Amino acid sequence: MTANRNGYTRRETLGLGAAALAAGTLGMPFVRTARAQAATFKAGVITSLSGENILGGNLTKQGYDLWADAVNAKGGVEVAGEQFKVEMFYGDDQSNPATGADAAERLIVQNEVDVLFGPYTSGSTIAVQPICQKYQVPMISGSAESPNVWKAKPEFNFGIIPAVDTTSGLSIGVLAKQSNPAAKTVAVIGVNEPFSKETGEGFRDGVAAAGLELAAYELVPPDGDLTPVISKIAALNPDVVAVGGHEEILINVVKTSKSLNFRPKALIMHYGITNPAFAQALGADADGTTGVVVWLPTVAYKDDVFGTAKEFSDMAAKKLGGEPDYTAAGCAASGLVLGDALKRLGKKPALTPEDRVALKDAIAETDIQTFYGPIKFEKDGPHYHDNVQPVPVLVQIQSGKVVAVGPKEAAAADYIYPLPAWK
Amino acid sequence: MTTQPVKSRLPGLLLLAAVLVLLALMPLMVNNYWLRIATGALMWAGLACSWNILGGYAGYINFGHSAFFGLGAYVTAFLMNDPFGLPFLVTVPAGMLVTAVFAVIIGAPTLRLRGAYFAIATWAFAEVLIQFASAMDFTGGIGGIGLPPYLNERFFYFAMLGAAALTYLLTWLLFERSRFGLKVKALRDHEPAAEAMGINTALVKLQTFVLSAVTASVFGAIFAYWVTFINPKSVFGGDITDQMVVMVLLGGLGSLWGPAIGGVALFVVNRLMWMYWGDTAFYIALLGAAIVLVVLFLPNGIAGLFSGRRSNALEKAAGKLVGRVDEGERP
Amino acid sequence: MDLFLQTLLNGLLIGGVIATFTIAFQLTFGVLHVIDFAVGGWVVLGGYLGYYMAAGLGVDGFLAIPAAFFLFGAIGYLIGPILYNVRNSRTARPELMALALTFGLFTLLRGGMLTAWGFNTRNVPTALSGESLALGPVTVPMIRVAAAVFAIVIAGGLFLFLYRTRYGLAIRATAENRQNAALMGVNIRRLSANVYGLYAGITAMAGVLMGAVYSVNPEIGLRYTLFAFFVAVLAGLGSVGGALVAALLLGVIEAYVSTYVGSSYSLLAIFATLFLVLLISPKGILRRGL
Repeated sequence: MTANRNGYTRRETLGLGAAALAAGTLGMPFVRTARAQAATFKAGVITSLSGENILGGNLTKQGYDLWADAVNAKGGVEVAGEQFKVEMFYGDDQSNPATGADAAERLIVQNEVDVLFGPYTSGSTIAVQPICQKYQVPMISGSAESPNVWKAKPEFNFGIIPAVDTTSGLSIGVLAKQSNPAAKTVAVIGVNEPFSKETGEGFRDGVAAAGLELAAYELVPPDGDLTPVISKIAALNPDVVAVGGHEEILINVVKTSKSLNFRPKALIMHYGITNPAFAQALGADADGTTGVVVWLPTVAYKDDVFGTAKEFSDMAAKKLGGEPDYTAAGCAASGLVLGDALKRLGKKPALTPEDRVALKDAIAETDIQTFYGPIKFEKDGPHYHDNVQPVPVLVQIQSGKVVAVGPKEAAAADYIYPLPAWK
Repeated sequence: MTTQPVKSRLPGLLLLAAVLVLLALMPLMVNNYWLRIATGALMWAGLACSWNILGGYAGYINFGHSAFFGLGAYVTAFLMNDPFGLPFLVTVPAGMLVTAVFAVIIGAPTLRLRGAYFAIATWAFAEVLIQFASAMDFTGGIGGIGLPPYLNERFFYFAMLGAAALTYLLTWLLFERSRFGLKVKALRDHEPAAEAMGINTALVKLQTFVLSAVTASVFGAIFAYWVTFINPKSVFGGDITDQMVVMVLLGGLGSLWGPAIGGVALFVVNRLMWMYWGDTAFYIALLGAAIVLVVLFLPNGIAGLFSGRRSNALEKAAGKLVGRVDEGERP
Repeated sequence: MDLFLQTLLNGLLIGGVIATFTIAFQLTFGVLHVIDFAVGGWVVLGGYLGYYMAAGLGVDGFLAIPAAFFLFGAIGYLIGPILYNVRNSRTARPELMALALTFGLFTLLRGGMLTAWGFNTRNVPTALSGESLALGPVTVPMIRVAAAVFAIVIAGGLFLFLYRTRYGLAIRATAENRQNAALMGVNIRRLSANVYGLYAGITAMAGVLMGAVYSVNPEIGLRYTLFAFFVAVLAGLGSVGGALVAALLLGVIEAYVSTYVGSSYSLLAIFATLFLVLLISPKGILRRGL
C-alpha cells in the first residue's frame, strides 16, 4: 500500500514507460520519407475492402490494378518522350464515408499521390469529393454508379460508368421489346440501401416510360427476410420481376423464389449477376436471370494498352480466375483516361499543384476510344462529369454463361422468354 | 495511505498541463492528415467519455448510444440545409435540445430495466432510429444528406478539442468532485441501498442518462459538418456504439481517463494498422487479436497500468461487491 | 385469404430459422452469464464449412452439419475456459470484459475470414434446397422446414438433456447458483468449457443451415448477432423454451408487416415491438430463466 519515495508506484513507472514508447512509435510516421529515386506517377485507390460493400470494392481494386500492371509492363505512361511507371497506394474505406475521407486525406497528404481512383460506394465518393476540391487533386471513379454523386457537380471527380438512373430504366424498355409475347406487368423490388434503392427507382421509372404496368414497388431492408415480399409478388403474378440489390440479396431472391416455387416470365437484376460467383453460387438456378451491363467482353472496342475487349477479358481472367465484369472494366478504363490525360498534359512527375489542376482540365476534355468503349464526360446537367456514352446491354445467363440478348443489334443469342418452370 | 494523495497529484497535473499544451499546439506540429487523425481521436475520446458517464459511473450499459450521436448529426444536417440554412453554431444547441427531449422520453421508461435488458432495449431504440431514418423521406432516406462543405481542418480540430475538453471537465466536476457523483456511484454499487439512503435514484439516473446523451450529440453535430455527408448507418450504426464500449473497456471502465486512453489508443492503432497493412482486410484480424490480448492481459484496462495499487485494491473490493450483487440479482 | 395463410407460414418459418441460432445462445448465457458477441461468427464459420465441403468434396451440404458440430464444438471447448477465466476474474465488471473479449474474437474471425476466403457470397447446396411442397393454397419451402425441424429437435434434445440427465441437472444447478453448485461438487470450470463447446457446435450447425436457406459471406455475421441478442432478450435471457416462442413471434410480425404494411417497415416494427415488450415486461415474455 505504500508508494515509492518519489511518489510513483512501480506500475505507474511502467505505465509512463509504455506511454513514452507508444509516443515514440507514433512519432515515426511524422517523418517524411524522401521520394524514391526513379520518378513515378503516384495514384491512390480508395475502395471497400471490408464492410458491406466488399464485392464491389474488391472488383474495383482489381480493375485499377489491371491497368497499373498493364501500363507498367509496357514501361509506364509515356510523357514527352519519356516513360514513367505508375505506383499504386490503397486505402480501405471500410464501406463507411468517414473512413473514406480519412483515406483520401492520407493518400493525398501522406503518400503525396498525383491523382485518386475513386471509391465503390456513393457515400464514400460524396464524402471524398470536398477533400479532392480542397487539395485540387483530380479523381477518376471507375465504379460509382449512383446519380447522387453527380448532382453536386463535383469539379474534380469524373465517372466512367453511366449513372444507374440512365441505364436500369432503359433496360426495362429493351426487355419489353425483346420479350415475346410482350411483357405487360412488372413488379420492382429495391433493397433499401444506397445505390440499390436508386436502381429500384430507375426500374420503376423505366416501367412507366416503357408504357408497362407497375404491379408492385417494394423497398426491402437489407437485413430482412425475403419470403413475405416474394409471396406477396407471387400472388400478383407479374410477367417481370426487377430487383435492385447487391449480390447477396440477388442470390437470396433466386433461392427464395425457387423455394416458394415462384417463377416469373423474366427476372431482371442489378448489380452483380455478371460476377462469376453469382452463377457459381446458384448453379443451374442462375440460368435465365437477366441483367444490365454497360460493357461485355464481346463488344467490338479496342485501344493500344489492353488491345480488344476480348484480349482484356482474357488477360483479366488469367489474373483473377474469372471473366471480368463491367466494374473491373470501367476501373481499368479509368487508368486509360488518366494515361491519355497525362500524355496530353506533358508534365513529368511529381506533379505540382498547378499541374494537377491542369490535369483535371485535361481529363475534362477526354474524348477517347478504349476497349471499354468511347469515353467523354458530360459538361453540364444532372450527370455533370459522368461518362454517359455507353448504352446499356441486356444480358442473360444461359447455361452458366453471360450472353448479350438485347437490344437487337447487340444480341448474340435469343432472349429466353418466358422462363421455363424451375427444375 | 492518508499522507500520499497531496504529494502525488502534482506529477499528474504537470502531465495534464503538458498534454493540453501539446494538444493546443498540435496544428502547428503535424500535417493535415495527422491533424485529421487527431481530430478523429479526440472525437472518439470524447464519445468514449460520454458513454462512460452512464456506463462507468452509473453502471448502466447503453448499447444504443449511437442513437444520440446520430440525432446530433441529423439535426445539424437537417437545419444547415435548405430551407433552413442555419449556421452551424446554431444547430449544435438545437441538436442538444432535441437529443435531451429524446433522452428523457426514452430514458424514463428504459432506466427501469437492469443489466442486459437495459443494454438491448437501448440497442433496439438505436435500430428503430436507423430503420426510421432509412424509411422516411425528410431524413433523406437511405441516400443520406450532404452538408455544405467547410474545408477548414483547424476549425474541426479545435471544435472536437473543445467539445472533448468540456466533456471531460464536466465529467470530472460532476462525478469526481460533487455530491451528485457520489449519488450516482452509490446507485451503481447498490441501487436498493442507495434508494434506502434517500437518493431519488430514478431522477439521478435520468439526469445521468440525459447528460450522457447530450454530450454525444455534440460530437455527432461536429462529425456531420466535418465529414460533409451522413447516412443512417454512418451515424446511427451499431458499430459506432460497439467502438465506444470497447474503447471504454480497454481504457478502463468508470475512471476519468480510461475512456480517453482507450479511445485514442484504439482509434490510432486502428488507423496505423489500416495505413501500413490496409492493402488487404488482414488488419481487421490484427485489430481483433489486439482487443483479445488487452482483455486477457490488462483486465483493468490500459488505465489500470497507470493507477497505483491503492485504487486497484478499491476496484477489487468494488468488483467483489458488484459480483455479489449480480449473483443476488437473479430471482 | 391464400396470401394470409402463406404469410402466416412464412412468418412461422422465419421464426424457426431464427430460432436455430438462438437456442444454444440462451444456454451459454444461462450458464456462463456471458453475452457472446461472436455468435454471428460461429454461424458464418458453419456456413463456410458447408460451402467448402459441398464445393470441395462434392457432398450434400447436410453432411456438413455433424462435421460442424464436432469441429467447432472442439474449438469452442478450447475457448470456453479462457472466457470463463475472464468472466470470473476479479475486475470491476467481469461480464463486460467478457463481452469485450467476444467482440475481439468476432472481429478476429471476421478479419480472418475476409483475408482467407475473400469477398464472394457463397451458397450451401443441399438435397432440399429449392424444393417446395404445394399444400392446398400455400407453398411450403422445404429447406426452411428443415431448419425449423432442426430448431425443434435441438430445443427438445436440450430439454431432455437438461431435465433427464445428471449432467443436465449439474448445468441447471450451475445456472441457478454457481456457488451452491460448486459446493455440491460440480467442476464449474470444466462444465463451462463443455457448455461453450456445445453452444459453438450447435450454432455452427445452424450456420450450415443458414448458408442453405440464405447464403454466406464474411460480413453477414453481425446480422445474426443482432437477431440472437434480440430474440434472447425478448425471450428472457437464459430461457431456452422462450427463445422458440420469441423467434416465432418476431417472424410472424416481420411477415405480416412486410406483406400488409410495407416491407420497408418490417424491421422497424420488429425493433419497436422488442423495445415496447421490454418496457411492459422487463424480464422478457416468459419471465423466467433456464
